[in-house]
Amino acid sequence: MKQKYLFLMLMLLCTTIAQAQVTYPVNGVADNREGYYAFTNATIYTDYQTKVEGATLVIRNGKVTAVGKGVKVPKGATEIDLKGKYIYPSMIDLYTGYAMPKPKRSRGFSFASFAASIDQFISKKKGAYNWNQTVLPEVNAEQLFTIDQKQAKKWRKMGFGTVLTHKQDGVMRGTGALVTLANGRDNELILKGQASTHYSFSKGSSTQPYPNSMMGTVALIRQTMLDADWYAKGGSKKEKNLSLDAFNATKKLPAIFEARNWQDALIIDKVAKEFGKEFIIRGSGDEYHRIAEIKATGASFILPLRFPKAFKVEDPLDAEMVSLAQMKHWELAATNLAHLEKAGVNFALTAAGNPAFWKNLKKAIKMGLSEKTALKALTHTPAQLMKMDNQLGSLKKGMYANFIITSGNLFKGKNSIYENWVQGKRYVLKTMPTLDLRGVYALTLGTKSGYELHVSGKPGSPKFAIKQPGDSTNTKVKGKMSGSLVTLSFNLDKKKKGALKTRLSGWAAEKKFAGTGEDAEGKTIAWAATYKGKLPPPPQKKDKQGKGKQGKGKKGNKKKKPAAKSEMGEVIYPFVAFGNKEKPKAEDMLIKNATVWTNEKDGILENTDVLIKNGKIAKIGKNLSAGGAKVVDGKGKHLTPGIVDEHSHIALRSVNEGSQSNSAEVRMEDVVDSEDINIYRQLSGGVTAAQLLHGSANPVGGQSALIKLKWGEAPEKLLIPNADGYIKFALGENVKRSRYGFLARGRYPQTRMGVEQVFVDAFTRAKEYKAAKAKGGASFRKDLELEAMLEVMEKKRFVSCHSYVQSEINMLMKVAERFNFRINTFTHILEGYKVADKMAKHGAGGSTFSDWWAYKYEVKDAIPYNAALMHQAGVVVAINSDDAEMARRLNQEAAKAVKYGGVPQEEALKMVTLNAAKLLHLDKRIGSIKAGKDADLVLWTANPLSIYAKADKTIIEGAVYYDAKQDEQKRAEVKKERTRLIKKMMSKGGKGGGKRPIMRRQRLLHCDDLGGERILWHLSGDQDKVHTEQATEHNHKR
Amino acid sequence: MQRRNSMQTFICVVVLLYGVVFLAQAQRIKPADPQSRPIVIQGATIHVGNGQVMNNASVRFEQGIITEVGTSINTNGAQVINGKGKHVYPGIIALNTPVGLVEVNAVKASVDRSEQGNFNPNVRALTSFNTDSDVLPTLRYTGVLLVEATPDGGIVSGTSSVMELDGWNWEDAVLKADNAIHINWPARFSRSRRRGTPFGGKANKRRQRIIHLLTNAMREAKAYATVAKPAKVNLKLEAMRGLFDGSKTLFIHASYSKDIVESVQFAKTHGVQKVGIVGGYDAVKVADFLKEHQVPVVINATHRLPLINHHDVAYAYKLPGMLAKAGVLTGLTVGNERGISMADHGWRVRTLPFHAGTAAAHGLGTEKAVEMITLNNAKILGIDKQVGSIEKGKQATLFISKGDVLDMLTNDIEHAFIRGKKLILDDKQQQLYRRFKKKYD
Repeated sequence: MKQKYLFLMLMLLCTTIAQAQVTYPVNGVADNREGYYAFTNATIYTDYQTKVEGATLVIRNGKVTAVGKGVKVPKGATEIDLKGKYIYPSMIDLYTGYAMPKPKRSRGFSFASFAASIDQFISKKKGAYNWNQTVLPEVNAEQLFTIDQKQAKKWRKMGFGTVLTHKQDGVMRGTGALVTLANGRDNELILKGQASTHYSFSKGSSTQPYPNSMMGTVALIRQTMLDADWYAKGGSKKEKNLSLDAFNATKKLPAIFEARNWQDALIIDKVAKEFGKEFIIRGSGDEYHRIAEIKATGASFILPLRFPKAFKVEDPLDAEMVSLAQMKHWELAATNLAHLEKAGVNFALTAAGNPAFWKNLKKAIKMGLSEKTALKALTHTPAQLMKMDNQLGSLKKGMYANFIITSGNLFKGKNSIYENWVQGKRYVLKTMPTLDLRGVYALTLGTKSGYELHVSGKPGSPKFAIKQPGDSTNTKVKGKMSGSLVTLSFNLDKKKKGALKTRLSGWAAEKKFAGTGEDAEGKTIAWAATYKGKLPPPPQKKDKQGKGKQGKGKKGNKKKKPAAKSEMGEVIYPFVAFGNKEKPKAEDMLIKNATVWTNEKDGILENTDVLIKNGKIAKIGKNLSAGGAKVVDGKGKHLTPGIVDEHSHIALRSVNEGSQSNSAEVRMEDVVDSEDINIYRQLSGGVTAAQLLHGSANPVGGQSALIKLKWGEAPEKLLIPNADGYIKFALGENVKRSRYGFLARGRYPQTRMGVEQVFVDAFTRAKEYKAAKAKGGASFRKDLELEAMLEVMEKKRFVSCHSYVQSEINMLMKVAERFNFRINTFTHILEGYKVADKMAKHGAGGSTFSDWWAYKYEVKDAIPYNAALMHQAGVVVAINSDDAEMARRLNQEAAKAVKYGGVPQEEALKMVTLNAAKLLHLDKRIGSIKAGKDADLVLWTANPLSIYAKADKTIIEGAVYYDAKQDEQKRAEVKKERTRLIKKMMSKGGKGGGKRPIMRRQRLLHCDDLGGERILWHLSGDQDKVHTEQATEHNHKR
Repeated sequence: MQRRNSMQTFICVVVLLYGVVFLAQAQRIKPADPQSRPIVIQGATIHVGNGQVMNNASVRFEQGIITEVGTSINTNGAQVINGKGKHVYPGIIALNTPVGLVEVNAVKASVDRSEQGNFNPNVRALTSFNTDSDVLPTLRYTGVLLVEATPDGGIVSGTSSVMELDGWNWEDAVLKADNAIHINWPARFSRSRRRGTPFGGKANKRRQRIIHLLTNAMREAKAYATVAKPAKVNLKLEAMRGLFDGSKTLFIHASYSKDIVESVQFAKTHGVQKVGIVGGYDAVKVADFLKEHQVPVVINATHRLPLINHHDVAYAYKLPGMLAKAGVLTGLTVGNERGISMADHGWRVRTLPFHAGTAAAHGLGTEKAVEMITLNNAKILGIDKQVGSIEKGKQATLFISKGDVLDMLTNDIEHAFIRGKKLILDDKQQQLYRRFKKKYD
């Protein structure tokens, strides 16, 4: 209440500053003050790199008029002496929702809302806006802005003067406004009404299912940018679109994109480069996991300072639930900024909603971030990013008078921010002590003298003690100062406890006190104290010398750092258990005397050597000479080509964009997850390459990503360069949403009849699109969905189609033939054996399961002889996994074709190597052991088809990515690292303060996974919001 | 509209059901006839099931019972099967399976494995066991001859029975009726909205409440069991009677170490005579405890991923070996467990020998692996006097494979017998195979 009143007073005093002419009426007599001040004798940071001591700052009308050493106090300016104090330009935060209406957030999964919106295909927003409810470029923060005094006060308290604010809702969020944190009419506070545009991967309050995946979101952003372009070039004649109008009008503004982790940041950069756009990336704090890739984006970042809490790890069983990545991030999160600074990444900081901001910043500085960069990131960089560095972020003539006054170095120790001046208005956060009264005073109480009054403590909050003559110890004094007024009370007679205290009231001036009071008898006395000299060194120091020294020693240690630093763990790639300290490198190798399954005419060669050079297979033969190559003994072992999985969903952050029947525009390349432990697990089963497919929730899924399992590399480097493009199609039960019960009856198709029509329609439209494209002109709109369909028709993109029953297999072949192309692969294809002759004639391959059946109605006729029968009929047959676990035993799954149907062993192995490579059009590069091919090889301990076979080494392009011995070492290292971190956590969080261990179990993605987006190892944990796009999680299988 | 939809669903279901039944009927395999004359398998490698191997040995069985096992045995009056170069194994036993209760998982009409509600000790797998399921004969084709048909879902899922994979009806096929009650121990760490998932997500806040409910139920059931003929019969408590006299086993499904200890203590405190842990992913950590209390562990799969990222990649492969080494009576099955891909699918049970093969390759050894899926499983089910090994006096439930049954490369079942009945080793899948092979030949 009191504070509110004070605030009001302040406001009344301040509001009229600098408002010579305003558009609004003023009640009463004009009180136009100029806010003309001169701050003298201060240490001023005129910008992040210039510190001027004993300087003067002059402000007038909310702007700086002069700054520097030797600046004279102009006449008419109010002088404020800031001796011993610091002035900094005030902080700027570019990522806030300050004073914005709160977006409606859905609270977890609600069946009712899910049911209501599952078939919503068009935005529910009324008006001539975009079709998608999460594309909101028309949202304009300056129109929504109205001062929020409560929030403003909080911000000012943290030293901020200016923030960029936007409505944090949707994928395209519209424009942000740059506003000051002063109190006043909204008209004065907006510095730049449309300062920026904002993007995110979070759908926010949109109820529309599309997009319900990360890759769908990326596709939507791409398409919207294309649409905006089309609209500008003539599309506006065809339709009015207020969203695209707004997008085009604001597209030159600085654009800020929110990333939830470093992987997001890399995708943002990828899209930016595709469209020649620059995004400022709002990072997440885990950028140090892939600093090289982050640096390579060339983007500027806005970074939060949120560090995870320690876990409670005193229970060894429960501690198992905490992942290595969580532990390591706990230790290393504070080093993020230092890493970025060292790499030369340009960044600003954000404190939005983070009460630990300053504490964490100081921690980050301890971990190696320089003070200069910290100050830059809070002042200059944000101003520059907003193209306002000539007005904000430093204190130079003509710039906004936005600054803070502090007791000392902002980044060190327990300094106080005394005042925060915004647009020349003063906001007192803490009363600045005007007098430094510390010292020893000669005290007279009434008629008695000879006492000493000791004043110690801080200038603003002094501590008092009295020394009586002949007493070696001090008498305790309870004292309080308010401005220059002082109240003291004490008991001079130490023996008489509970006696009435002597109570004094008085006033201080330079080097003296005086006043009146009542003594222990209640008699009124006068008192006075005059300065005698400096305080003696505190006597306690002598008593506790040992402790004092220890304290110093500790401090010394802290400064020494290297000792402490060497205890820090290393960043591993990927940042999960079994990650590499150094990424595997290709080496020349000679594998000697192995049984070599060539998959070529030579068949299986006993006692044969294979030479690997420069990542390729150089020679196959007997008694080859190693040259400089490392010799690997292959005696008693079997060497095969690396296993290729035609159908995989590992290493993906999301799998289904199932909200529309056709999502050909989405690309799995956008969601490759290099941090998936299953990459490593599959290497241990000899898998070297895989097709990462979209799921089977809709007839036309998305574009595949073909990867090699290069554990440790960044997502982009997993992709196989120059591989053909693929796309997932799907038929049957999944696409007609058979298992949604009474839900989802709205989406077409609901029958296999409709499925056919979806394809015929898509290709018919693609044909028309082709004609329109050839014609070109302003009215031609590039459509990413139809582009992909056209690529299929033109044999530039190849189909892998999820399918089960013979009727639908036959149908799709006929549709393809009608549009003059071929289906490349039928995947799963459990009834392929019924139409194998037709498939062979059509030229389709079959990628199937070995022995799965009976899990759904459409596989009731599935038989384990399928692979053998298709093989017999001349179909190129592969055996795929669609399962993260089974993929590491694909060699043994292939062996089932020997049991069921008697396929020769050599042919069975081809089903998981060469044949899969053929289906992926990679057989010229991988799939067999032949000179010139990629050295993607597996050395097995036994016949690779046998249950007793274990991968001893898995090699990709000459680099060993899995080695059984190394694996053992890695396990020991993981254990050691965990033990070290547990020890460290025990000393920090073990005692009560920590978080309870919880374990984030990885969700395995299958064909039928809808929506549910996985953000693995999003380590900012509870503090940062992880926007999982869809709460609905249908974990059906296949 | 609503009505129309539900009508459609109804029609759909009827059509589906009809389809399944019709198709199945056309290709039904006839149950085997009882053994009419003695059979001798001669000169084979006999994997006894107790870890022993007998080379060039023979086995004789009459009227369903093994009468002789050895190197030189009487062939008088017997049909002799030449076993030279071949392997004889006891019939493989699978625990904790939905076999017979599920036909096609995605078709609700064909699924009878989880009853509504959380407390169902009285529901019995026995009477729902479908001997005409198309899945059954496919399991025999890899050597699985006995299954424990087990309800799942809820907290107390129901009562299982041990069934033979051949028979005219469930009465005909049952080996041990109502052998055990299965409960899903509320897991300490569970994923939200997925009760009981081991090791998932956040700490399970409901568990304490569930444990209280279980404790009450146990106490009352024990008190109820002291009255031989209660005036008022409570079906649920009646079903639990057997837990206290040892006629029924309590199988507790738990994975996390602390859950295992806590649940076993819970059962012991309440006087449950026979307790087994099913799942037991983390059982190695508390192996000493399990050994001390003589609690066996049934592992639901070796072909599964580690539940924890920093665990050994081959953790699940090695688990049977580690537990066996620690001296815990360990069984291996392809059983139902939340968190294992397709764990509630009966057809997967045919891969059990290969799960054992993986364990064999990862530290367990071949014969121990065979023991784990035969005699150990029989012991855990309390049927080791009848089946589980090839020993005199036991039922002739065994099979002949051309090669090592644990390896898919050599697993090739030539003959299989249940109680001496020679099974017709054919199934719908082989019929379809023959039909289409002929088409392409």
